[in-house]
Amino acid sequence: MNKKKYLKNSQKALAWILFIWIILFEFILPSNNFLPKPSIVLLSFGALVNEYHLFRNISITISEIYLSLAASYFLAKIFYRYTGGFDLFLSASESIYRFFKFLPIIIPGIFLILWIPNSNYTGFIFAFIISTVAVSSKINEESLKVKREYIDSAISLGAGKNIIAKDIIWNSIQPHLFSYIFELHYFIWLSLLLFEFINGGFGIGAIYKFALQYKDISSLFSISVITGLIIYLGFIVIKYLRNKFFHWSNI
Amino acid sequence: MNDVKPVLEVKNLTKYFHGLAGSKICVLDDINFKINPSGDHGSVNSILSPTGAGKTVLLKILSAIEKSTSGEIFLDGENYLQPNGKIVFIPENPSSYPWMSVKENVEFGLKLKRHNPVDLKKKSEEIISLVGLDGYENHHPHEKSSGFRFRIALARSLAVEPRIILIDNSFKALNKETKKELYQLINNLKNQVNVVFVFATSNINEAILLSDNIFLMKKNPGKIFHQVDIREFDRNNLASEKNSVLKLEIENAFNHHEESLDLS
Repeated sequence: MNKKKYLKNSQKALAWILFIWIILFEFILPSNNFLPKPSIVLLSFGALVNEYHLFRNISITISEIYLSLAASYFLAKIFYRYTGGFDLFLSASESIYRFFKFLPIIIPGIFLILWIPNSNYTGFIFAFIISTVAVSSKINEESLKVKREYIDSAISLGAGKNIIAKDIIWNSIQPHLFSYIFELHYFIWLSLLLFEFINGGFGIGAIYKFALQYKDISSLFSISVITGLIIYLGFIVIKYLRNKFFHWSNI
Repeated sequence: MNDVKPVLEVKNLTKYFHGLAGSKICVLDDINFKINPSGDHGSVNSILSPTGAGKTVLLKILSAIEKSTSGEIFLDGENYLQPNGKIVFIPENPSSYPWMSVKENVEFGLKLKRHNPVDLKKKSEEIISLVGLDGYENHHPHEKSSGFRFRIALARSLAVEPRIILIDNSFKALNKETKKELYQLINNLKNQVNVVFVFATSNINEAILLSDNIFLMKKNPGKIFHQVDIREFDRNNLASEKNSVLKLEIENAFNHHEESLDLS
């Protein structure tokens, strides 16, 4: 099935699900704890804005995720380009990354909450640590896979280690790195939502916590839809950037 | 006394690789050859051997990308120890950088020579025109064929003003028409720039069509055993008797070592 047809079909399926939900839960079934009435969900948006401070919390979570991703990318870029590979840092990142493959990422997050309680920045620190370790580890992994012929021809042209790292290896790994950030973005969302849920201070994760405490199923339903839409938009932006800047890549 | 120094002289070059259980595998055995200058223009030389004879290793050692186990390489009489853009290597697979446009690929080479921005633009245009890529300055390598990518790699190599360009079997995957165009390009270039081209190939016809000199190399271990000067070869009449005799001479030399070549 081609991509266009697939998209059209999934839009159709979504429209049908919405239609069935409206008919069933608004007009046929009585109020229940499984799915709320569509009219109540609509009204809950108001509660989300006024009582759960929706806009402030969304801004906090979005800035924590995207700023941390951007910061770790540019930090890695600066270090990589101007230190000729920065081997030690990258190898260390890969070791940390491998260690945390076997340990749920939320565990260091819980320690972070205990070490720095009541801070506005713990969410950012948490997301920044994950993205920096993951991005650096990916850079290390991909830089070892750069096509030998790119490096060989640069060496024979007389390019030194720093130029090869900056102009050849760094540019060569970008499409792979961006594809990885595409996946990492989703992982950071999940981790940060969980972190904010446990921390219970600010962010979208905290909205889930309070809505659950109040057993406010309609707000839970609405915030889930909003979260899904924001993550989807994030995907579209990252995909757009990838296609715009790395059109030359065949991955 | 004739004191003209060879452009390239290789003396007693040997390369061993480490095998299993500490054994040593001899890849190149006592390679000796020289390429003399051809006045004020360049020349084209081929290293002809069956596949797997160690041509790529030899070219990498000549360009100082890899170290030999023993032996010496002299460029214009001086020992060539570190890669500095004087002997440039073009690998078998397309090595033009796909994230750079044609112009940027050439400028990458020019920047290594520290040209100022005004010179850079002028020089880049000159080189692009030299390899027949005018009008494609802002195109990326993936937009065209392998022949296009080879031209970019060649242009980038010319940008560092090399003395020698080593080309590793780069025409292997190209179609007949593109090959013909590139042979023509190389033959034009050798008269326009004072660069010595060294081709590694397994194809006898390619070697004959391109070269002024052919170095015959056998395998297991790789060793250059004969040199054939084919400057008198008539490239306009491939089927002439003189040409057939020459081709037969080369084939017989390999048959003597019980090795066969790509005759396509």
